Amino acid sequence: MRRSVMLWMVLGFAAIGFLFPQVADAQKKPILVGFPMFLTGGGALFGQPAKVGAEMAVKEINEKGGVLGRPIELLIRDCKGTPDEATRVARELIAKENVQFLVGGLTAAQGLALSEVAKTEKTLYIAPISKTTAMTDPDKLHPYVFRAAANTNTEGRSAAVFMAKNPWKKIYTIGPDYEYGQMVTKAFIEWIKKIKPEVEVVGQGWPKLGEPDFTPFITAALAKKPDAAFFSLWGGDFVNFAKQARPYGFFEKVKVVSAGEAGSPETAIALKDDLPLGITTNAYDLFYYPDTPEHKAYVGRLKAYTKQEYAPSWAITGYISVQFLAEAIKKAKSTDTMKVVKALEGLTINTPIGKQTMRAKDHQANRGQFWGTTAKVPEYPFPILRPVEYIPADNLMD
Amino acid sequence: MNLPDPSFLIIQSLSGLTYAMFLFLIASGLSLIFGILRVLNFAHGSLYMVGAYLTYSFVSLFINAPGQFWWAVISASLAVALIGGFIERFFLSRLYIREELSQLLFTYALVLIIGDFAKVIWGTGQLSISRPPILKGAVQIFGQYFPEYNIFIILLGLGIAFLFWLILNRTRWGRVIRAAALDREMLGSLGINVSWLFTLVFIIGAWLAGLGGALVAPIAAIVPGMDVEIIINVFIVVVIGGLGSFWGTLLGALVLGQVISFGILILPRLAIVFIYVLMAVVLIIRPWGLLGKPLQR
Amino acid sequence: MMLKPNWFLILLILLLALLPLSESRFYIFLGTDILIMGLFAVSLNLLLGYTGLVSFGQAAYFGIGAYTCALLMKKAAVVFPVAFVAAAFMGMIGALIIGFFCIRLTKIYFSMLTLAFSQIVWAIVFKWNSLTGGDTGLIGINFPKYLDSSTRFYYFTLAVVVISFYFLRKVVDSPFGRILATIRENPERTEFIGINVKRFQLIAFMVSGFFAGISGALFGIFNHSLFPDLLYWPMSAEVLIMSILGGMYSFFGPVVGAAVILYLRMLVTSYTQYWPLIMGTILALLLFFFPGGIVGFLKSQRPFAGGKR
Repeated sequence: MRRSVMLWMVLGFAAIGFLFPQVADAQKKPILVGFPMFLTGGGALFGQPAKVGAEMAVKEINEKGGVLGRPIELLIRDCKGTPDEATRVARELIAKENVQFLVGGLTAAQGLALSEVAKTEKTLYIAPISKTTAMTDPDKLHPYVFRAAANTNTEGRSAAVFMAKNPWKKIYTIGPDYEYGQMVTKAFIEWIKKIKPEVEVVGQGWPKLGEPDFTPFITAALAKKPDAAFFSLWGGDFVNFAKQARPYGFFEKVKVVSAGEAGSPETAIALKDDLPLGITTNAYDLFYYPDTPEHKAYVGRLKAYTKQEYAPSWAITGYISVQFLAEAIKKAKSTDTMKVVKALEGLTINTPIGKQTMRAKDHQANRGQFWGTTAKVPEYPFPILRPVEYIPADNLMD
Repeated sequence: MNLPDPSFLIIQSLSGLTYAMFLFLIASGLSLIFGILRVLNFAHGSLYMVGAYLTYSFVSLFINAPGQFWWAVISASLAVALIGGFIERFFLSRLYIREELSQLLFTYALVLIIGDFAKVIWGTGQLSISRPPILKGAVQIFGQYFPEYNIFIILLGLGIAFLFWLILNRTRWGRVIRAAALDREMLGSLGINVSWLFTLVFIIGAWLAGLGGALVAPIAAIVPGMDVEIIINVFIVVVIGGLGSFWGTLLGALVLGQVISFGILILPRLAIVFIYVLMAVVLIIRPWGLLGKPLQR
Repeated sequence: MMLKPNWFLILLILLLALLPLSESRFYIFLGTDILIMGLFAVSLNLLLGYTGLVSFGQAAYFGIGAYTCALLMKKAAVVFPVAFVAAAFMGMIGALIIGFFCIRLTKIYFSMLTLAFSQIVWAIVFKWNSLTGGDTGLIGINFPKYLDSSTRFYYFTLAVVVISFYFLRKVVDSPFGRILATIRENPERTEFIGINVKRFQLIAFMVSGFFAGISGALFGIFNHSLFPDLLYWPMSAEVLIMSILGGMYSFFGPVVGAAVILYLRMLVTSYTQYWPLIMGTILALLLFFFPGGIVGFLKSQRPFAGGKR
């Protein structure tokens, strides 16, 4: 074939390729919500159930007739663990798939990145999990970002409160060396110095997020002989650390208060016998607590939906975020972004774990968490949090 | 900073030694393949990862069998060896007549392909298995605890190093392999089937990587991304020690293991920069590594 | 240059210029992305295809350019034109420093050292939290004042890329470029005929780094945020694949490669998460059956002999 003909053919294909999307006629009816989430890798332990929770919420809403008579459609994408990927995926969702709203991101860095996309694209974004206070700080806050999750202040300070109740003096911190780990550890240290000044931070360990080998950090921590340690390792990192630290007798020597939701049943199931007992930690939700009728009903539905014996606790993060979005659209009686933004500010909704309000002043929900101590119980084949209580966020947020 | 007590230093260096053994297992395979085949196998980390995943699967398969962990390790490493042989025989060998870049890029393509296959088969989350029952505990060293399993790894690593030294220097096959590293063309004229020798070398290299992965399974996360994670450190090891040099690989692994182990204490946030600087410095001053020989090409 | 390709080029540029009329923001995004990565790939190809230097560390100059431009604009309130030019020069200087050490080695050692340096740059950016934002990234890079819409930025990118290609083409077709090709074929012999091979290689590095820096600067602004990931070695691998896919022995080959990869990635990722598998398979097929890349394949289809390189 003559070369020129070949080249023209290539050009032709290219032209057709560009025209292609015009052919696809959009059914404007469903409300499109983009859902980028950490679905592959160490964070999948939390990201997958979050996705499931969002899906279940969408299903329930659509079964009841949808929002404003229209069904919600969740466009799910794997953004792995990097903010880079989250940005790329979100922009594609907005520009190509024409989503009107964004819910998603897991790590703190992803939350910040998605917030930036939301700002430039003027799309409403609700963060179900990202905790860094930087997202709602006055200099970073913009109309389009909302956080349904707890934040690093709430978490770090709750941990400090628990730590202060005990007679421990020398504290070591171990956290993943990125935005979340840094912010929550900072919040912890500031608060504990405030409420118990005699506490001394004898050292800090900063493994990277997704560190495969914690042994040097374990031995370094033990060398400082702390009374207690504040952890912010989460998900896969916590699982690995616990497994690797066990033969060193780490958790017997050092009392641990851990942020990062190590109390989630997902973590307990992953670790089984390797889950350290007697550590104080938190979770977003627990299938065994609280005992309210709404919560039990929710857990029942979740069990049926996931076909899992023990309903995952992270599902609630996706669930509540979708609830906030759906209720805000209903209140605004429109899907116009600015109207929904206004409706979302100050909105109170009924979630399976009680009433939650999205504060107007900083677009942050007053999301507290469940804190308790890990203990072996006869009812379940893995340790759970007992005793456990819900720590509300209202007194711990700025 | 005040001087930490000696028992801590010993424990820290033993941790570094453990990691060094894993690096050595994988790096020696890589180095062997490079020395004989002149191919830098990017996919070596992927073989390591497959070894870990297969161990997970075999452990679940051999449930309740005595010594299930050990059977799993043996099966997994052999399986990886076979996979390596398959790849070399049917794919890689066809690229030998091409320039080196093609072979290198093919191994990178394998990284992508094997990585995704692992996700398809084993899912995207993190898997883990437990240590074998007889090595679950810890020993006391100067008042500090150190896991028995890690001691086992150190001893095994050194044992394998010694075994390989024996094979390379005291057996006929060893001599053939060493000769192949020096002059491939001559070997053919001595009546040795060079093509099958290459496959054999690749199989051995793959076996080592698979073994490394199998042994690391109880103490690390079996997760997508562990292939990319390890290969870069393995590259640093072979660069420091010398591509194609056996003792160099061991030395490089020992050095990197200790650098990482102590690096996080001395320069916690900068340790990661330091290891690449080390790699660059060695490449600049002595590109063929501490114990390598200048490339005759 | 023959007459027909000129027409083809002009038509292509016209088509690209008309792209924004398609009203699809997404295609403007994709187009900008392809142009930027295309320039990046062509800058690599100056080393890879034209000089025979297999650099695994091209992402370093890309990243240096990106962060320089963004940091100057964000932290030092420098105006865009200055920041942009600074980015190009920093890319060039980075390439000069790195290239100086690397060209003393050959083959695999050369490649490994480029990789090592690229990782050093990555590690520095990753860890220097206070300056670069580290892992969290540099967020909130705004469009410069006169380019505050995606369409305008697209046209700006198109202009910059077309001009860059024009210059690069001149370089490649000049006696300098021809010497590079000679070096690629046989460095020792070239040395024998009295050419200071190292100096030419170093200049090639600098030119390559300059344009990689430009593409990096464009990338940063286009994405409104920068993350150290773009300096991590898979990025260098990706641009290498683009060049080879498109055809490293042709000038525009890498652009074709970039377009194909970005377009395919966009299509594939909406259906499945297994894009690396697809990319790996394409790469493997390429290596086995199409060593000349897409352009090489197309060229081999024509019956007439004679090389347009």
